[in-house]
Amino acid sequence: MSERKKVVIDLEESEEVQLDGLSEMTSIDASGVMSVNNASERSRIWNVKVLLGETRDSTDISDDSLSAGEIDVGSSWETNYGVTVKAPIMTFKEVFDTCGTIETEEPHWAYVAGKENPVKITLTVTNETDGELDNIILNKTIPPELSNIEIVSAKSGTAEYDEGTKQVVWKDFVIYPRESSSLVISATGIVEDTEPKKAGEVVITYRGEGQQRSVLDPDLAALTEFLTGIETAETEPNQWQCTLECSNESDLIVRLDKAEVYLTPEDGGEKQKMIEETPSIELEPDQEWASSFEVESKSTPKCSQDLQYTPVKTVTKRVLGTLEKAAQEIPVYSIDYSKTFDPPSVSSFDKTPVEVTIEVTNNGSAKLDNFTIEDNLPDDVMPPKSEHITVWIKGEEYTGPYEFLIDPEDQDPEKPHKLTFRVENLKDSVGEVEPGESLKINYAIMAWRNRPEKEYPSPVICTANTDPAGIPAVMESPEDGHKLGVIYKKRAISTKKAINKGAAAGEYIVVLVVSNNGEVTAENIEVTDWIPAGFEYISTDPEDEAPEVFPVDTGGNYMVWTWQRMNPGDKKKLRVTVQGEGEYERREPEVTSI
Amino acid sequence: MLKIVYFGKTSFALEYNETTVLLNPGIWDGKKVVPNDFNARIVIATNQSDDAVGNAAKIAVNSKAWFLGNQGAADKASKKGVKPWLLHVLKSEVPYEIPDVKITPYALSRIDESEGGRIENLGLYIEIGDMKVGYIGDTVIRGPFEHLDMDVLIVPVGGDGVFEVKDAVSLCIDAKPRVGVPMRWSSEEDPKKFSKYVEQFGQGTVPVIMEPDQVLEVYWAAGNEFRYELN
Repeated sequence: MSERKKVVIDLEESEEVQLDGLSEMTSIDASGVMSVNNASERSRIWNVKVLLGETRDSTDISDDSLSAGEIDVGSSWETNYGVTVKAPIMTFKEVFDTCGTIETEEPHWAYVAGKENPVKITLTVTNETDGELDNIILNKTIPPELSNIEIVSAKSGTAEYDEGTKQVVWKDFVIYPRESSSLVISATGIVEDTEPKKAGEVVITYRGEGQQRSVLDPDLAALTEFLTGIETAETEPNQWQCTLECSNESDLIVRLDKAEVYLTPEDGGEKQKMIEETPSIELEPDQEWASSFEVESKSTPKCSQDLQYTPVKTVTKRVLGTLEKAAQEIPVYSIDYSKTFDPPSVSSFDKTPVEVTIEVTNNGSAKLDNFTIEDNLPDDVMPPKSEHITVWIKGEEYTGPYEFLIDPEDQDPEKPHKLTFRVENLKDSVGEVEPGESLKINYAIMAWRNRPEKEYPSPVICTANTDPAGIPAVMESPEDGHKLGVIYKKRAISTKKAINKGAAAGEYIVVLVVSNNGEVTAENIEVTDWIPAGFEYISTDPEDEAPEVFPVDTGGNYMVWTWQRMNPGDKKKLRVTVQGEGEYERREPEVTSI
Repeated sequence: MLKIVYFGKTSFALEYNETTVLLNPGIWDGKKVVPNDFNARIVIATNQSDDAVGNAAKIAVNSKAWFLGNQGAADKASKKGVKPWLLHVLKSEVPYEIPDVKITPYALSRIDESEGGRIENLGLYIEIGDMKVGYIGDTVIRGPFEHLDMDVLIVPVGGDGVFEVKDAVSLCIDAKPRVGVPMRWSSEEDPKKFSKYVEQFGQGTVPVIMEPDQVLEVYWAAGNEFRYELN
């Protein structure tokens, strides 16, 4: 059976879609090429008209019909047109999650500097039509900061990463009507600087066979090789049979739409319509069609005809799409910090309030939503109370919610303490901290009798994160960092002693002068003096400075004075009366203190 | 009820019943802090500097009050016309007592910023009515005050030859008075810091910053509950 040839009207429409970095459509352009193709191998068509009617309304075509003239064998005629559309037949969404290992409602959108970012890229294409989409090829550019690229899953088709071109190509799949398909890629992102990065473009091409963006429904009117005639044959005297005969002489299928034959009466009156048919018959090549009527006439009847036929057309159509998504900008979050003591150093063995200020600066390119500062206070420092902290965000004093924990929860200066400050969800209070802005906290501690030979490191760990929170940006000091300086202040306790004769025989007045000649307060001062054997303690002036007196195994007694504190410049003068017999041997008093 | 009136700098008056004790009515940059016609029963200068003695002699003479001070202050008051019979030299740790008032001086010292070195300054432990007030004058040392039981402790914070804020705070931490009052500040920040640190580290001591002409009233409610009011 020979091929049934028809004139082909082809509608090839294309759409070009642009998405921004966040997969929001920024533009869509659609256009089409309509062509009339003469598929005949031997028959020309002419007087070709493409009939569009009201279906042209979605296009920029201005006429209801387009004249294509004559189209030779195997040739075609074509015209371009624009189409107005609002949405593509395929939609696309890229989710570039910089921390795919932490499940969150919204994806993480920034890299943390200097760390491995477990990136998860999810590419989803959706068929928004009732027909299939095929010939889909998706190219995803992989940015240079990503490594360890792996195809985690492809719902359909095949996906491969080409190291040379730094592209993931996903293809060989169709998307059924109203369905979606996804590709998941994992990678490791490492960035060392804080300049925003590009997440890589996506380009997709696709085809929707049998689909169109316009609503054009073209029809065809044309002529081709088609033989027609009226045979008049006398069947009886003055009886005539008139036959309209048609024959499709082309190799195209021709549809006969109307066949009318008119008879001119012998007396010259008005023409009479003798055949009126709308057969709508499709005539194969060389197929004939006839219709007849009988009429009485003395002479050969005079007939005329009116025929409408056209080569049969078929309409083919498709949509070719291109979707380009711009690279998403991926900022980088990073922090720096400073910690100061005011004063930076304290006098040894003193109690000094010290202002601690820690400022965390956003030195990256991403906004930060939460901060944690962990400050480790050494021993010999009294921590603040939890309510005594001042917080500034973006240079303004912050009075919103935060947490300030002190562990252990006391003010014992003999124990180290860990202070933890935490503020979260800034986006709902004062807004996220922008690049270049900072968070600052201040509190006072009390340096508590610090020893000059000892070191007092106060290391700090600062962290910050975005919303949603991913891997935190961390800045920390060395474990022995941020030492509170201790200025050595000399301690100098002097004791002088004189032994003077008393008023009575055997009575001596021992004068002791104890002075703090140092630069720092002395505490727990203990002065010991010895009374030789044969003498006994009588009294002390002033009376309330009386010593503890106790015997010594080797003979005599010890007198011991203790004072809790002597300030620089303090002096104590004691006059001790002793009485006895014998030689009053002199020994030097001993003094100890801290 | 004890009323503590602040005149500014280091000048206070303690008023209990009919007795008024005026402390260090100094002259600063040629200006009196307390008017000459102030009426007091006792006028005390804790050292011989002008910012302590000031117009104490004038006030004492005008109000026929006792003048109390260490030897240097007494000599200066004498030269300024205080009658010998109204002059009393305070000796360290030797109490001076009149009805309702017992004053125990302790030898402290201050730095003489003009001459260098140290000069004696008396710290005063004043038992007045049923209140115990520590007034350490112009001092860089604390002496025995950290061991004294005080309801109110008045301390310098300016650091100009006397306690710095840190020293004042440190003394409050150790002595644990019920109320700590700063005086003699060099900048407006000093009393604020004193207040901040005492509040944080004072462990029971309430800091009260007094402005000139303000009166701090302290009393025992129901005989055993310490209360104060700043007006």
